[in-house]
Amino acid sequence: MKAKKVVSLLTASVLALSMLAGCSAQPAADSADGAAESAPAAQEESVAQESEVAQEEAPAADGAAGQVYYLNFKPEQDEDWQNVAALYTEQTGVPVTVVTAASGQYETQLMSEMAKSEAPTLFQVNGPVGLANWRDYCYDLSGTELYSHLTNESFCLKDGEEVPAIAYVIETYGIIYNKALLEKAGYTADDITSFDTLKAVADDIQARKDELGVKGAFTSAGMDASSDWRFKTHLANLPIYYEYKEDGIGSTEAIKGTYLDNYKQIYDLYITDSTCDPSELATKTANDATAEFVNGEAVFYQNGTWEYANIEALGDENLGMLPIYIGAEGEENQGLCTGSENYWCVNKNASEEDIQATLDFLTWMITSDEGRAAMSQEMGFVTPFDTFTDEFAASNPLLQDADAYIAAGKTPVDWCFSTMPSENWKNMVGSALTAYAAGTGSWDDVVTAFVDNWATEYQLSAAAAG
Amino acid sequence: MEKAIRKFWPIFVLPTLGAFAIGFLWPFVWGVYLSFCRFTTVQNVSFVGLQNYANIWIDNTFTHAFFFTAAFTVVSVALINVFAFALALLLTRKLRGTNLFRTVFFMPNLIGGIVLGYIWKTLLDGVLALLDRPLLALDATAGFWGLIILMCWQQIGYMMVIYIAGLQNVPIDLIEAARVDGATDFQTLVRIKIPMVMSNITICLFLTLTNSFKLFDQNLSLTNGLPGKDSQMLALNIYDTFYARSGPQWKGIGQAKAVIFFIVVAAIALIQLRATRSKEVQQ
Amino acid sequence: MKQTMKRKKRRTDVIWTAALSLLCLVYIYPIALILFNSLKTERAITTTRIFELPDAETFASLENFVYGISEMDFLASFWYSLVITVTSVLLILLCCSMCAWYISRVDGKLSRTMYYLCAFSMVVPFQMVMFTLANTADTLKLNNPFNICVIYLGFGAGLAVFMFAGFMRSMPMEIEEAAMIDGCSPLQIFFRVVMPILKPTMISTGILETMWVWNDYLLPSLVLDIRRYRTIPMAIQYFRGGYGSVQMGPMMACIIITVVPIIVLYLVCQKYIIEGVVAGAVKG
Repeated sequence: MKAKKVVSLLTASVLALSMLAGCSAQPAADSADGAAESAPAAQEESVAQESEVAQEEAPAADGAAGQVYYLNFKPEQDEDWQNVAALYTEQTGVPVTVVTAASGQYETQLMSEMAKSEAPTLFQVNGPVGLANWRDYCYDLSGTELYSHLTNESFCLKDGEEVPAIAYVIETYGIIYNKALLEKAGYTADDITSFDTLKAVADDIQARKDELGVKGAFTSAGMDASSDWRFKTHLANLPIYYEYKEDGIGSTEAIKGTYLDNYKQIYDLYITDSTCDPSELATKTANDATAEFVNGEAVFYQNGTWEYANIEALGDENLGMLPIYIGAEGEENQGLCTGSENYWCVNKNASEEDIQATLDFLTWMITSDEGRAAMSQEMGFVTPFDTFTDEFAASNPLLQDADAYIAAGKTPVDWCFSTMPSENWKNMVGSALTAYAAGTGSWDDVVTAFVDNWATEYQLSAAAAG
Repeated sequence: MEKAIRKFWPIFVLPTLGAFAIGFLWPFVWGVYLSFCRFTTVQNVSFVGLQNYANIWIDNTFTHAFFFTAAFTVVSVALINVFAFALALLLTRKLRGTNLFRTVFFMPNLIGGIVLGYIWKTLLDGVLALLDRPLLALDATAGFWGLIILMCWQQIGYMMVIYIAGLQNVPIDLIEAARVDGATDFQTLVRIKIPMVMSNITICLFLTLTNSFKLFDQNLSLTNGLPGKDSQMLALNIYDTFYARSGPQWKGIGQAKAVIFFIVVAAIALIQLRATRSKEVQQ
Repeated sequence: MKQTMKRKKRRTDVIWTAALSLLCLVYIYPIALILFNSLKTERAITTTRIFELPDAETFASLENFVYGISEMDFLASFWYSLVITVTSVLLILLCCSMCAWYISRVDGKLSRTMYYLCAFSMVVPFQMVMFTLANTADTLKLNNPFNICVIYLGFGAGLAVFMFAGFMRSMPMEIEEAAMIDGCSPLQIFFRVVMPILKPTMISTGILETMWVWNDYLLPSLVLDIRRYRTIPMAIQYFRGGYGSVQMGPMMACIIITVVPIIVLYLVCQKYIIEGVVAGAVKG
């Protein structure tokens, strides 16, 4: 009796311990009938763990050459990435895991994933400011095939001789317009070549909105988080671009705001020639704007090539894109805004095999037929790599307009917003714009938020870092 | 008997103790240590002393979140308890359909904070749009009251159930006797019912207090701190500092904020303990 | 006199019943709103049109449900949430009742330490340990739905131990002592004698812990291996697109799929749930 008690006591504590340790390999249950009875839950527990652990370790064991873990930024392309990852694994046996961060949580998830033992081997930054935070994690890509296929040096981020990040998708934004509606109003895209002509056309459409059956020239400029980036980030890019151009710089710690009057001009146009009263803008979201555009209630919609999937319903032949004219000097030669805020980085803290596997995967993505097809046709990306020949051009009518402007000798506008000091800065500008539109704030507040906060935010990150 | 059981401690206590050590004790101690360090992952930790604590106030978000949380806590605790108590009084009047009412009022408790937040965001944004007012994400005042409404909707039922249990324990003859003596409804309420359910009131006050003070999920899904960080509460502010601000300096600051947060919560809990103890003595 | 008072009471009762019925409708409305919007097409679920009922043009039948379930792998999330909840709650009930019995029957350093640890764990806010806990879980491979229950045990033990201990103090020791004299080992006493008596407290505690684990968001989102597992609260977040657009229809549909089972479960075991809440409040 006593001996039995001791045995059952021992086995039970072993069980309890193995349960806690989680990955213990010993299914002590067989030898312990007395104890097993008394701890049925515990036994099930450890058995469940056993099989789970086995499952997890299996792929790593036979694909010993390393694996790829990509933390993807774009939720819209999640499915495409999953498919191409499965295809790659099927062909090469190298496991590729793609996880897409929930919208607005990329930084959060990258932070928490980087702290784990199986950290992402491939991740992305949004530009110089993002890179500064992740610099210590970036593998030097200068010697890679990926870099050698880059069509233009400006599509990678450099740090001295090193290349820590390479853009993988080039995007374009401008004023998307509904061709049929514009023609109905008696105009074509050729009539709009400057801010003045844009304003004339928009004012005319706005004045005749009932006759034309629209609610306004521009879609509502919603200022909630789903839509405010169109103004606080993308539209704000233009005054920054012209200022940098005038001063011959690529970034600054103190913006002057030379072109803020132009910023005001275009924003005023957006909110007055709109489907709704300026005071109502604060109640609109991106879904409202998209719905208005697709339902033919507005002619113009400032957005980018990525929006194509949502507005496809209008028909390819009806979609076009115009440059955002703000009335700056020399804008007759201005094209669409083209750039990237999606740069690939390879985690240099990953194991050598994993880094190699990741580089191989990236090379495959831009050189193999399957990889190229996935990126250009499935995901609809325009890439900065010379391997994407004509048969791998993305089929997006908005992109064709972008090409047409370049072919016509117009200069694309750079994406300078990656040099904006922080998310906080953008939010402050956004709040000021909202208040201005609603009539509760003045334009001076926007100027303050734009100019003064720029310097403050740069100092803040410098102070915290020191 | 005590001796016999004592020998079995590895079976009875060790699993829980082990889980404590893994899931809570060790992370806690480590967390306190990290609040004095600069780090991004556990591999690159360097000791910086009190610098993180000094840097908490490098921007005013923590102070702002603190006052926002305090205001939110006061308003929500008051509203929830008053309404819950009023409903409990009504539901102990033997009205028709009492069971149905209780069922419905309690229901929102079972829905998780994240889902609740999305439900209310949809509804409140719709209402605000009808009124031509800025959406939740654009107006911190709307966000504040949105959170209050959400919390009331979620918590009133829970507190109501606790109050009902207390009210049902008030002896009927006591109330009858008071009525015979000519006491009005209001007098019986103030002189008899409220003193008799005092312990339930303490419990509910502290439950709502800690719930409101530590609120996270609802804050995340309803306003996400927008506009800017104006509707951010403490828990979300810490999370935001920790994970959403990139840069090696922020994690240490976030951990330091968490330590301060812990001290405040612990202080509240101690006061609670005192209060319940002294109540028990009185009874 | 008495008659008029009664009549007066009856009249106010009618008014109150009417008022409460109205309040009930207000309480149910948010869920009803989500329900009928989940049946509408995407373009009809904008903030300005949210209060419109689906009509012939905007009715989407079950499209949103099908899309939500298939595209977002929602059933897998449902399954993981279920596994986590069931294993965690069972483990908490088993370990904590054992621990509580030891604490209430043995007086010593260990008992006192455990008691204070439990109290302490109930105070510490999750944000305090989120980073280090995620790391520990990652190192010990507690980052999958089958092992994460160990962490939930560590975090949920406080409340459970308190509830069990509170109940056991009021339990007479005579039966246990009699069993001991009959030659039962402490293990046998616990499982044959104590456990059956504990059943009502088990149910109450189980319900409180279930409500917590099922709805928990932050812990699994930081601890779980997100490459493979998502719980329901995590999955709901994925209906927002990269540039801010929200897939409103499928999101509403998934909210409904999440909420309905809970409500059904609640309607079935309402009695236990409400008793559990009361017991938890009074003892905790």
